[in-house]
Formats: sequence, structure tokens, C-alpha cells
Amino acid sequence: MKHRLALYAWLAAVVATTLVHQPAVLAAGLAAVVLASGAGRGRLLGRALRAVAPVLLLLSTGYLLLGWWTGELAWRFLLLLNLRVTLLALLTAWAVRDIDFDRALARWPAARRWLAIVRSQVTVFRRLATEYRAAVQSRSTLPPTLRQRYRAGAALGLAALDKAMYNSEALTQGMRSRGALDE
Amino acid sequence: MHIPDGLISPQTYLPALALAAPLWVVAARRLRARMGDELLPRLAVFTALAFLLSTLMLPLPGGTSGHLLGVSLLALVFGPWVAFLCYTLVLVLQAVVVGAGGITALPVNALTLGLVAAWVTWGGYRLLRGLGETLAVAAATWLGIMSAALVLALVLGLQPVIAQAADGTPLFFPFGVAVTLPALLVPHALIAAGEAALTVLVFRHARKRRWLEAMP
Repeated sequence: MKHRLALYAWLAAVVATTLVHQPAVLAAGLAAVVLASGAGRGRLLGRALRAVAPVLLLLSTGYLLLGWWTGELAWRFLLLLNLRVTLLALLTAWAVRDIDFDRALARWPAARRWLAIVRSQVTVFRRLATEYRAAVQSRSTLPPTLRQRYRAGAALGLAALDKAMYNSEALTQGMRSRGALDE
Repeated sequence: MHIPDGLISPQTYLPALALAAPLWVVAARRLRARMGDELLPRLAVFTALAFLLSTLMLPLPGGTSGHLLGVSLLALVFGPWVAFLCYTLVLVLQAVVVGAGGITALPVNALTLGLVAAWVTWGGYRLLRGLGETLAVAAATWLGIMSAALVLALVLGLQPVIAQAADGTPLFFPFGVAVTLPALLVPHALIAAGEAALTVLVFRHARKRRWLEAMP
């Protein structure tokens, strides 16, 4: 229940943020979220900033250059854009940290099941990629060329696909045998 | 290529949501009608693959990089409706796991990257398959990705017109189509070529493993 309400609150907050066009209100919202997010707020803010910094840097620099070129620069817009995108990213980072999506989606078992299956496959792929990269690095003293990286990537991709398919079939059979896919 | 939260106005994402929601229902019904013990694990694997492809950066000449989508592969293996639904899930996962994209931008991203790319790829493949499978898969994938980039560039480029303050300054994405079209289409011509090569590789592997035989 708590997680479902938190999920709704997050969705409402995200939509509300896109309806606000005053930088002062957005700055106050940002400060409020930072304060309310509790212990680990610095890490949370860092995570949000890392996610949006490349986009904001690109957009802000482009807008500054265009403004300098045309002589029409709206500082208020720059502030608005940066505050809004950062606040949205922070809200999402907070939701990801504190909402248990498995519990929040309890009312929708199909969505929950689907999410679980795909997540498990993502974990398998990631583990295989890490193992393969470590194996390649341990055998070579020089960094691979771009061509070698593409070839290794292709080989890894196909091997991982076979492994993941085998895993997924076993997982589905397991879920079927326990009645999880009966409805 | 997908749009993050905060760059798309409610005047855009709310109508996009109204359009996407019934399409998700149609896609879910079609998937439910086909769902079986063979399809489910394959779907899970290919959806996970699409998620990972969209998080891996592809090095481009000049030191830049872009990311692949994987939606064309989903469309060719499972059809455009299922690909649309699976790619929506990929976008949701990206928003809540990686922090890429976003929830308000989800309908626009799903319609462009999920629906447009999937249907163009699938339609392109059916039109071109007389030329040979490899060429048809590669060309259809390239066209699918470029179509999605084109629609995305138009949606972004229209934001300064759709949502602006009383003094004419933009409220969301600030650049018009004169900037967004070349900014998205030029690099994506290369990214789409990379995606086409990868789609051919995995599609041929899937055919060899007979994963396509259960598909219509």
C-alpha cells in the first residue's frame, strides 16, 4: 500500500513539475526534495546530476552560443530548464531508491511478472558481459582496437543470447510448474 | 536518442499519452492471444537484449558515441505490435533503472522509438525481402531508425512553437527544427548503420537457432 501510494505520488509530482514555469518555485521544490529525501541525499543528488548533466550541458551550451550569436539570450529560460530537468531527475532517482516497484505493482501481477523476467535476463546479460570483459583484459596487455572491440562484442552478444535463452526457458518452465503463469 | 523528462511540454505528452494508451491495450491483447511457453522466454530475452543495447554506447568516428535501440530486432522477430509493447517496457526500465528518458516523455518516446521504428522496419522488410534477407533486414532497420529520428526531431523542434512564455521565450526544448533535424539525423545515419549490422547478425543467429519458427 505504502509503495503504491509512493508510486502515485511520484507520478503526480513529475507531472506537476512540468506544469510549473517559475524558476523560484522549481528551486524551492528542488530544495524541498533534497531535504525530504533523508540520509544519502548527497549521493542521490549526485546520481540525478550524473544522469542529466550531459544533456543539460549540451543544451545550455548550445542555447548560450545561439543566444550570443543572435543577441537574444533569456537567462531566466536557462535557469528554468536546468532546474526543471534536475528536479525531475532527482524525483526519479528518489523513487528508484525508495519505492519497491514489485510491491507497488502488486495490483498488476502480469506487469510484475513481466518485469521480474526481463530484469533477470538483464542480470544474466550483464554478468556475462562483465565476465567476458575481464577475461579479454586478463589475456591482453594492450587495449583492444575498435575493430577488435566490435568483433569481441559480436561474439559476446551471440554467446550471451544463447545462454540467456537457455536460462529464460528454464525460468519459464520453473514458473509454469509452480503455477505462476496459470492465469 | 530518446528524450529525457523536462524537455517535452504537457501540450505534447498528454495527447501522446491519449494516443499511446489505446495502442498499448491493442498490443497487449495481441500479445496475450499469441503468448505461449515458447514465446515468453524468447520475448523476455529479446526485450532484455533491447534494454542492454540501448544502454551500450557505440563509438563513432570523431570520438563521439551514440546508442543502439534494438527495436528493429524486436519488430522483425515478433512483429510491430509486440515490439511496440516490449520497447515501452524497455523505456520504463531505462527511466527507473538507468535514469535515462523519463516518465512524462514515455508516451512520445514509445510512439516514436517503439511504434514508428517498429512499423517502418517491419513494413520495409516485407517490401524489400525480394532483394534477399540480409539486404532487406539491413535496409529496413536503417529506415526504421531514421524514421524514428525524423519524428523525434520534429517533435523536439516544434516545442518552442507549442510551448512559449508571453514574451516568446521557450518553456521547454529551446531549438527549432532547423537545429533538431540535422542534429538528430546526421549522427543517426551512422548509428542506424551500426544497428542494421547488429540486427542482421542477431537475426541470422536467431534463424540458425530456429527461434523464428514459432513466430508468424
